[in-house]
Amino acid sequence: MYRAVLALIALTVSVGAPSAAAQGAPGRSSVRALAARADSLEALVARQDSAAKRTRYDELRAQRFDAGDVTVLIPAVVGEGTGRRIAAGAEAYLDSMGGIPPAFVRSVVSIAYATAGSDSVLRAGGLGGRRRLMVDVPARPDTFADGWAVAIVIARAYTESLNEEWRAWLPADLGIGWKHGREDAAAVRDLAAGETRVGTECLGGRPAACRLWLGLDREPDAYVARYTPAEIRRIVALRPLVEYLGPTAARCIEGSDEECLRFARGGQLPAVPAGFSALRSMLREIRVLHGAEALRRALSDTAGALGQRLAGAAGISEDSLVVEWRAWLLTGGGHPPVSAGAREAMPVLLFGGLLLLAAARSGRWR
Amino acid sequence: MYKEVLKAQWLAARLPVVLLAVLAFALPLLTVTYGGSLADAPVERVGQWLLAAQQVGVLIPGLALLTGLLLGIAAWAPDHAGKHVYALSLPVPRSMFVLLRFAAGATLLAVPVVALGVGALVATLSVSLPDGVHAYPIQLTVRFAMASIVCFAIFFAISIATRRAALVTLGVIGGILLADLVVGALNIRDAASVTASVFYLLTTWPGPLSILMGRWALFDV
Repeated sequence: MYRAVLALIALTVSVGAPSAAAQGAPGRSSVRALAARADSLEALVARQDSAAKRTRYDELRAQRFDAGDVTVLIPAVVGEGTGRRIAAGAEAYLDSMGGIPPAFVRSVVSIAYATAGSDSVLRAGGLGGRRRLMVDVPARPDTFADGWAVAIVIARAYTESLNEEWRAWLPADLGIGWKHGREDAAAVRDLAAGETRVGTECLGGRPAACRLWLGLDREPDAYVARYTPAEIRRIVALRPLVEYLGPTAARCIEGSDEECLRFARGGQLPAVPAGFSALRSMLREIRVLHGAEALRRALSDTAGALGQRLAGAAGISEDSLVVEWRAWLLTGGGHPPVSAGAREAMPVLLFGGLLLLAAARSGRWR
Repeated sequence: MYKEVLKAQWLAARLPVVLLAVLAFALPLLTVTYGGSLADAPVERVGQWLLAAQQVGVLIPGLALLTGLLLGIAAWAPDHAGKHVYALSLPVPRSMFVLLRFAAGATLLAVPVVALGVGALVATLSVSLPDGVHAYPIQLTVRFAMASIVCFAIFFAISIATRRAALVTLGVIGGILLADLVVGALNIRDAASVTASVFYLLTTWPGPLSILMGRWALFDV
């Protein structure tokens, strides 16, 4: 087919060429010559195609990088330096958060999408039995290059391996990559948004309300305990395209408390009023104040309510835990947000003094 | 002697000083007026307030930069206009004169700093905050003063620098940008951006410009 097309093109070109036109229709010998040329072109295209495929395969061939317990397979085209940085970055992210047992990290291998020949690399390295986690290159490539995307995939896999109660409560990323000043502010905004009475009371300092807001207690009916029908109604009414949410939502907005609860129980409202930023902040607080081991103990615990597991791992009562978390969150992790002390003054005085000295020693009137 | 230098500097810089003082007074008040009054606001609105305070806070280091720039340039404006004849005619060593100019500039700097402090205090007194949210008028004012002094020192030194010093400074900046362009053009894998590295060093503690970074919100957790 390919050959026929090439021959046809060659024929068309020759027919259209002025010299050929001057000579009239092509003879049998010239058609044979053109067919031979098409043959040679076809061979050339095949060779080039094969070389391009080989190059492409070489670029995508899996390269293995290890850092601590983390193993990643990345296309060779990414480069050795970047590959090492991805593995080391992923290990650093997991280490900074804690909570995931090293044995779990050792049981998986993260493979970037489009990596070719990963089977042979894994078999050669004796890692054939490891569970494979696919890592997509996210919209922000820098988060891939610094290992964040790999760490998140491992964290998600670990979260999915936990029991149902944890899976429903935990933010899938376990709070990896927590950034002070941004995420804690988001958590405070979430708390201060006052969508629910329990959130408002938690901000005011009532531990029982914080437990409800964070969804730490086992409740026979989470929606009844954590929301009032009026709150559900307000949340539903503020939803975009509310008129398309169905008759239950419509009746809820019209004033039926029972319909509001039915709407919420139908999975239309999160069972935990606190947002993911706040849940992440709880995990982060335990990590910072009680260590990675405490978080690991809590996540591997399956007995009792979530609050009991977290508090038990931290070695304090549930109320003490939420009081501690609230204080930690509201003080920006123990640091005042606007600071102007000796630490800030030192570089100012030093740099100002140096500039003054430079100005005094040289000038336009010398 | 200081009084005379201060007076001369005031005459040269009074318009920018007054304008900066008005801006500095108004900026913290913007935090209060951004979305209504906090005095009677229900706790549900605190989140909006925190967001507004953060957004307004971003403008304050910008004002510090502007203050340093205008007063730093204004400190030497009369000398540049008079070809430095007045300064040369004074019976004081050059280093003393530079010190006097700096001290006078720093004194004028106090006007917008005090204005910001008063504005922050008025804004703080005009609202009632719920538990867990605090006002930081003093920290904000001190931080603004420090940031203004750094910026003032930079532009003060640049304004009096010799042509050679100015050329060296420009050369260093140009060199950094050129290095980045070359790295970009060569498409060197894993190469760090020189500009980004220098910026990071300058703006991360103990870098001299680190004071301009961080959080500047008057109302915060």
